[in-house]
Amino acid sequence: MSVFKVSSSKTRNLIYCSLFAGLITVGAFIRIPLPFIPITLQFLFTNLAGLLLGPILGATAVSVYIIIGLIGLPVFTVGGGLGSVLQPTFGYIIGFACGAWVGGHVAHRKESPSNKRLFMAGISNLAVLYLFGTVWYYFLAKYYLGTPKGIWTLFVFCVAVFIPGNLLSCILSVPIAKRLLPLIKVNK
Amino acid sequence: MSFISHIAIGQYIPAESYIHRLDPRCKILITIILMIEIFMFKTFYSMLLWGIFLPIIIHYSRVPILAVLRSVKPIVIFIIFTSFIHLFGTTGRVLFAIGPLSVTAEGCVHAVTMSLRLIYLVLYAGILTLTTSPSKLSDGIESLMTPFKTIGFPAHEVAMMITIALRFIPTLFEETNRIIKSQMSRGANFNTGGLMERAKAYIPVLIPMFALVFMRADTLATAMESRCYRGGVGRTRMHPLTWSIRENIAMLFFLLLSVFVYFVDRKFV
Repeated sequence: MSVFKVSSSKTRNLIYCSLFAGLITVGAFIRIPLPFIPITLQFLFTNLAGLLLGPILGATAVSVYIIIGLIGLPVFTVGGGLGSVLQPTFGYIIGFACGAWVGGHVAHRKESPSNKRLFMAGISNLAVLYLFGTVWYYFLAKYYLGTPKGIWTLFVFCVAVFIPGNLLSCILSVPIAKRLLPLIKVNK
Repeated sequence: MSFISHIAIGQYIPAESYIHRLDPRCKILITIILMIEIFMFKTFYSMLLWGIFLPIIIHYSRVPILAVLRSVKPIVIFIIFTSFIHLFGTTGRVLFAIGPLSVTAEGCVHAVTMSLRLIYLVLYAGILTLTTSPSKLSDGIESLMTPFKTIGFPAHEVAMMITIALRFIPTLFEETNRIIKSQMSRGANFNTGGLMERAKAYIPVLIPMFALVFMRADTLATAMESRCYRGGVGRTRMHPLTWSIRENIAMLFFLLLSVFVYFVDRKFV
């Protein structure tokens, strides 16, 4: 019977991705009011997407979030629309998807990942995120804004200022992923 | 206090207009081509021309002009920043100087052109989302991406995920607010303590949030499958998209406009 051709897990995976895309949107708007730099939960949620859903579904969830933003809904912290490609921070948004993929790979190498593995998955996600963010900003500054930046300036503005908040997100995602991994029924 | 600032998800403004009635595929195509053109045409005059057409389109879309202009708000700071860089960083005929910084005529033109370009990108994309409902948008995207199915791109699934996500974003916002409030009423404290304590305070918010999402996903999957959802194959629509003479006229008009702007751009380059 063709009605049963699609397994239940396929529909459920599709819904997981959509709801995670929704969660990432919500995360972008929850601000933890820290002194000096308030951080959003955006990275925490994209990281959790990778850790909980695995590389492929995690990256899909983030990509859906990106598509929603690109078609013009204001889901990014700086708005939305195709024009956001020209934002200096758009590299991080692409980095979220690739980072979730890398993080998911690291975490899901083992059946039940240890705390250390989950933390390292977060760190590798972060490394990918910074790589994309910095490279994007470099090319945007050089070819679009016409004001190339030095490597030190790039490091300070694209990496250093974000490290405390993101590191905190990495630490925070370990107990959350540990608690939630047994609950999720993803069929990969 | 609220941790979640209000966002206008689905800024769609329903109205009866020519632009609203246009097939979403037509609008998406025009917007994408337009974005590329705004990028490629570099002169000040082509920017001026796009500026002339903008109020005409807004007028015909019957969307309040303020609603369209509001989409520029998030990038105002970015525009000011880049304008300053261009204003002071371009070499050419010096108009006046403030200390070591000098403003050149070329810098002024450059700054205005670049700012206009950014503003147009946002505004034209804004018109698309203001005049097209999210469900129509995802229908349009699905239909436009169908050719890529041959190389294995899951067009239907992507459109379905967009639709579900859009449907649930407001619900998720509401639920998050509710969880934050209920944990606060149980004595959760988000505002004091060191960095670590504040971050830890969010764990009792995040775990129920994700647990709720998992539950919801299960329920929704069951609901969809008990209604015989089985992917995109053989699925029909309640409101099929139609490409009629109206869309042809819009496309033709847009292409003529593009050619016109192209020649103006070449002439002054």
